[in-house]
Amino acid sequence: MDQRRSTRARALAAALTAAVLAGCSWHGDQRTTLVFFQFKTEAMQYFKDLAARFEAENPDIRVVVDNVPDAETALRTRLVKGDVPDVLTLNGNGPFGEFASAGVFADFSRDPLLRDVKPAYVEVLRALGAGSPGAVNGIPFSANASGVLYNQDLFAQHGVRVPRTWSELMSVVKAFEAKGIPPFYATRADAWTTLSPLAPLTAQTTAQSFFTERFAGRTTFEQGWREAVDKLGTLFDHTQPNPGGTGYEDGTTAFAQGKSAMLLLGSYAAPQIRSSKPKFTIGNFALPATDDAARTEFVSGVDLLVTAHADGDHPAETRRFIEFLMRPQVVQDYAEAQVAIPALKGLKNQDSVLALADEGRTSGFMDHQFIPAIPLGPLTQQYLIDRDRTRYLRGLDSTWDRVAKRRTWGLGAVRR
Amino acid sequence: MRSKTNWWLTALLAVLSLTVLIPLYFVVVTALKTPDQLGGSGFALPTEVRWENFADAWRMTNFPRAALNSALVTVGAVVLTLLTNSMVAYAIARNRHRRFFRILFIYFVSALFVPFPILMLPVAKQTAFLGLDNQAGLILLYVVYGLSFNIFIFTAYIRSIPRELEEAAVIDGASTWTVFWRIIFPLLMPMNATVGILTCLWAWNDFLLPLVIVSAPEAATLPLVQHAFQGTFQTNYTVAFASYLMAMAPLLIVYVFAQRWVISGVTQGAVK
Amino acid sequence: MSFFWMVLPALVLFLVFHTIPVLQGIFYSFTDSAGYGAWDFVGLSNYTALFSDERVLSAYLFTFQFALVATILVNGIALALAVGLNGRIRFRNALRGIYFVPNILAILVIGYVFNYLFSNSLPEIASALGIEALSTSILADPELAWVGVLALAVWQAVAFNVIIYLAGLQTVPAELYEAAALDGAGPWRRFRGVTLPMIAGFVVVNTVLSLKNFLQVFDHVVAMTNGGPGTATESISVLIYKGGFQGGEYGYQIANAVVFMAVIALFAVVQFRVMRNRGVSHA
Repeated sequence: MDQRRSTRARALAAALTAAVLAGCSWHGDQRTTLVFFQFKTEAMQYFKDLAARFEAENPDIRVVVDNVPDAETALRTRLVKGDVPDVLTLNGNGPFGEFASAGVFADFSRDPLLRDVKPAYVEVLRALGAGSPGAVNGIPFSANASGVLYNQDLFAQHGVRVPRTWSELMSVVKAFEAKGIPPFYATRADAWTTLSPLAPLTAQTTAQSFFTERFAGRTTFEQGWREAVDKLGTLFDHTQPNPGGTGYEDGTTAFAQGKSAMLLLGSYAAPQIRSSKPKFTIGNFALPATDDAARTEFVSGVDLLVTAHADGDHPAETRRFIEFLMRPQVVQDYAEAQVAIPALKGLKNQDSVLALADEGRTSGFMDHQFIPAIPLGPLTQQYLIDRDRTRYLRGLDSTWDRVAKRRTWGLGAVRR
Repeated sequence: MRSKTNWWLTALLAVLSLTVLIPLYFVVVTALKTPDQLGGSGFALPTEVRWENFADAWRMTNFPRAALNSALVTVGAVVLTLLTNSMVAYAIARNRHRRFFRILFIYFVSALFVPFPILMLPVAKQTAFLGLDNQAGLILLYVVYGLSFNIFIFTAYIRSIPRELEEAAVIDGASTWTVFWRIIFPLLMPMNATVGILTCLWAWNDFLLPLVIVSAPEAATLPLVQHAFQGTFQTNYTVAFASYLMAMAPLLIVYVFAQRWVISGVTQGAVK
Repeated sequence: MSFFWMVLPALVLFLVFHTIPVLQGIFYSFTDSAGYGAWDFVGLSNYTALFSDERVLSAYLFTFQFALVATILVNGIALALAVGLNGRIRFRNALRGIYFVPNILAILVIGYVFNYLFSNSLPEIASALGIEALSTSILADPELAWVGVLALAVWQAVAFNVIIYLAGLQTVPAELYEAAALDGAGPWRRFRGVTLPMIAGFVVVNTVLSLKNFLQVFDHVVAMTNGGPGTATESISVLIYKGGFQGGEYGYQIANAVVFMAVIALFAVVQFRVMRNRGVSHA
């Protein structure tokens, strides 16, 4: 009995060893390997295909596409190890500014590629943070327009017009509720999605100088954000029943199925929505936060930028790959596939989602000015559950002050 | 009296064992469904089986690569742990009268109470610097970090082995090495089973260590791949469940065949 | 001396891959390092800041509450099941085999399954049965989400402890039970009077190890709630990982880890003392 069992164990061990050896004697590859760190979940397959196309054109280069679920954390882990990927795509946000000011990324300020990029986007990146004065540590690739996504068919069917003021928005909400259609589909389970409506609300209800003042300690969130936060609560009073457990993926799917009239997310969510229903017509209007229609504007940011390791091992190959990525045709194709505004001069996207997004009238994402160590998303999510405005805003103020006090590094980049 | 079966107790325990079986049943039925059969409580049997879930999961998670990595790390960790940790424990157990070895014992075992987050970043830095941010590094770290617990249980067992055997061998001219490999190591078999099983379960199922150590996607282990899959295809539930099932299957299958041996192995270590 | 050569490689490797990283970690706890880039010494200010940081305090509160309840439940349930399995039952081996299965599975993977069960299936079943309180996902409720994490932890950890307790019960000589039965002792008194003292050593080791493991809970939280909703289920390990990596406050969170290490050591020492004083002869 024992004998037989040990024979079986030995056979198993032998099989495993064989499998392991087979795995090790993997193909000997003579090509130069570039690590391509790709943050955007929605565009995963797109960039994989793109990398394959590049490999076909450049037989001497192998591109390993690294798609990670939690890109900023994964990138920080890599930075700690000194294992910076050769080429990266990133979102133009606060953490990008921090990475850039640590001097990790190459400087493109003198790069001819940057001359073809719409200057406003270059300025956005420069302002987020840079490794040295005047440096631009990334090439803008595409931009987004964040307002309110809406179901055009439902709006047409019920004769509802796109609102230009907060009061009009509230009548739209009432009109749909009267018809038994939830106005919004909340995706509260994913904390970051709660920031999408908060950004235009704070941008339109506070002064331009709010963050400068906040850094100087001359104002507080408790003073400045009350109206925005109340209105955020109001929006979330008009969602589907039991909004708690729904996340980004479930919410976008439900919206595509016509389960709500609007969705509080930006243009970047369109590919995810269409992935379950390709022909679905989505509109996108600027979220009006006040009754002054002149103040109503989209929030826009660099949705995706391309950058490279400051001193990577394969500068020539990296250069070839970046030039490939920045070809106008590639940028245009991407913008159309991913429903984004192409960042190159002269390119346009005719998608219905971007029809109202007037490039001249936008403001930046406020969460990009936020110190990344503050869990703004989770705190906002918490507020939407318990609706304790005072606790939420005081919490933001005290965390802000505490983090600013204990950090001597990386905050200057965020400060304007 | 001895042979009388308590049927009430048997029935109770059988019913309670459903708490273990129901989640597993749920994984299997969900993995076989088409997306439109989801919804409701989800416990119904599939009306139409979709085997492609497995093919999709296989392709999307690069399953063969991840499974191979997990197998390589697990086998490597188990073999090296058994060979090295028992030897260190032997040296310590037989030299309790020496101060150096007593301190060594306390040094190793006290590390049991050092939480991993404290060394997480430095060790990630270090392994990357040494080119060990891959499967080999994981094997090494499992062997080294396992020392604390394994020495603790190996030494207890070794102390129960009478010294006469070794003394006889030494008189016959055997070296300490020969004594260990020829006499002690074979006697340690019950403990080796315990340590081997626990190391195997640890290395196969661990998430945090690979998460911070491994950076190249080709070196990812099964739990890492599941984590990435969860983050990128969240709503693709049926395929996700197929991939969970495939990640759990290898060890479950081994367990089904080696169940008695596994449990007696774990038990051996506990009784000592 | 051969014995020295036997331990030397292990000692060196342990120093390099465990002790030195720990010391490096402690060193960084006095800086404002993000783990990369430039940093400054900040003295003890990370430590003083910790004690007024609400997020840190709530992580400690969550972790202690979770670890304590989980340890008690796991050991209570495991001991009860082990006594049952040690009784005069049929299919003992099959049942024992089934109860061990959760221990074979990766917490992260089975956690995703539990996550789905708690967010989708359970609310459906509850609303079908008309139980209003459970008809929404408990994982989305800051007050209740920890119960979901707890359920996964208990389900998974009972498996291993049942087997250990069962092994312990088998070391109790049958004669003792027979003698107690002749004295007219009922099942409960037999358990209190005979079983418990005989397996006290197992109880000590199991509770110490459970508590130590549960205090470091990580995978469970990542799979079930990822610390949410809000920051309601952030355990200390999750906070250190998230704050240190996502937030880029490595120096600050490593100070948190140093404090955490002291707490775990304290727990272990106190636990061993208390249990030993309760008349436990060996551990």
